[in-house]
Amino acid sequence: MAVTQAPFHAGEFDRADPVPRSVQPRIRIRDVTLSYGALQIIGGISVDIAPGETISVIGPSGCGKTTLLRMLAGLAKPTSGSVELDGSVLAGPNRSVAIVFQDYGKALLPWRTAAGNVSLALEARGCPARERPEIIRDLLDKIGLGRHADKYPSEMSGGMQQRLQIARCLAQEPKVLLMDEPFGALDAMTRQALQDEVLSLVAMTGATMVFVTHDLEEAIYLGDRIVCLQPNPGRVGRMVDVRLARPRDQLMTREDPEFLRLRRELYDLIKDDHQ
Amino acid sequence: MRTSSLRKVFLGLLGLAVFILVWKLITDAKLVSPIFFPSPERTLASLIKGLSGGALLGQTLETVQRMLLGWLLASLVGIMLGALIGVSRRARAFIAPTLELLRPLPASAMIPIAIAFLGFSNPMVLVVIAFGALWPMLLATIHGFAAMEPRLYEVSAVLGLTRLQTIWKLALPSAMPMILASLRLGLTISLILAIVGEMLASRDGLGQSILLASRSFRSADLFAGIVILGAIGLVGSRLLSLAEARLLRWQATR
Repeated sequence: MAVTQAPFHAGEFDRADPVPRSVQPRIRIRDVTLSYGALQIIGGISVDIAPGETISVIGPSGCGKTTLLRMLAGLAKPTSGSVELDGSVLAGPNRSVAIVFQDYGKALLPWRTAAGNVSLALEARGCPARERPEIIRDLLDKIGLGRHADKYPSEMSGGMQQRLQIARCLAQEPKVLLMDEPFGALDAMTRQALQDEVLSLVAMTGATMVFVTHDLEEAIYLGDRIVCLQPNPGRVGRMVDVRLARPRDQLMTREDPEFLRLRRELYDLIKDDHQ
Repeated sequence: MRTSSLRKVFLGLLGLAVFILVWKLITDAKLVSPIFFPSPERTLASLIKGLSGGALLGQTLETVQRMLLGWLLASLVGIMLGALIGVSRRARAFIAPTLELLRPLPASAMIPIAIAFLGFSNPMVLVVIAFGALWPMLLATIHGFAAMEPRLYEVSAVLGLTRLQTIWKLALPSAMPMILASLRLGLTISLILAIVGEMLASRDGLGQSILLASRSFRSADLFAGIVILGAIGLVGSRLLSLAEARLLRWQATR
């Protein structure tokens, strides 16, 4: 719990960019653009993300949220500009960067059990077979699937399947965890439970997280900073610091006046973009 | 669950009993000359005689062996070739038109070519079986690979799986339902071509035995051979069903 990104929400930084210059950013997005033919999807985005920081990305549909995330995962190449991970340019997918897709049903292997799906990540990074069972058990316990190791995805609820995908990503031992509207298809209660689990996992592992969502409250609840994208072409409209204490709490945090103020501010921003 | 599956077995057996009864009524009424159409009792007698000490047992083993060898050959070549073609879009574009040209060719049309190269030999029959049974496996594997969920390719890229790992751990299992269905089809084709091959190339086996029985008007022996062929098909298909249920048990709960 020691790595709860203390410097970034304690109010010591009053600059728009709260990343201290002395720390090398974990991720540096430099003047990134992306075009398909004449159509420009992303039009020049620059963001530095510090190690251990959690960034929420919001914006109206079509603003390039998912595209930006895919570039961070190395699944899409910027037309110009670059994405750097710990100072070196990201040329393609990298095991240090894990991504949780929204469509867990398609991202999981239906023919493998929960344990088998987690095992895939271990097999990929050459983890010896005899060490796998223990790591798998540990990860599944952490994410609350300890009793479901032998179930197939088709036997699990949506929330459990998304938990499983997160466990598989953690098995990569990533420095960066990318989340593409991961809870968009889940019901409200499951969604809140998963938000808290992700927060505690990120705190435990010290991972840097980029969380794309269309849910403003989710963005505030999870983030240290919120990047608001604007469409046509996708670019950073505003960068908002979230100065809410951690660990966060579903009731207390959401009733905090600062939370409500941020919600109003973001709502007005997004609403303007829609008009 | 239990009672309904018992009932199913009972109904199946009842259907078989009715079929044999009708067969017996027709032969008892002498609607068809017994020279061409033996009664169930005579068929059974010939079956028992042939299997206990007669030539039928050896011939059955010959045919089963031929069928299985040809089927295995076709399956191995089909799945491996299909995987090679299936993983690469360029390879698919390159080879698909040629495959479409070759595929509709009846396997029996290949027999004269096979005879020209290999003579009336066991390898010739094997090649014909393998050629005919290859297609379902090859096409199912190609299609199964091509139809893999695109998201899984991204998962594989992000996890850093090698190309071989991607084929072995993602593409092959996701093509497995299609491949298993094609294996069943391939087995049926293998049995048919084993019989045809034996008839044409005078190889030892049920095909030749049936042909000879028919030429010498031994209708009971002819029917005994046919009953065994039916049994081979049934057993093969049941064994594959069991394998399928085991390999695809992740689908069972859908």
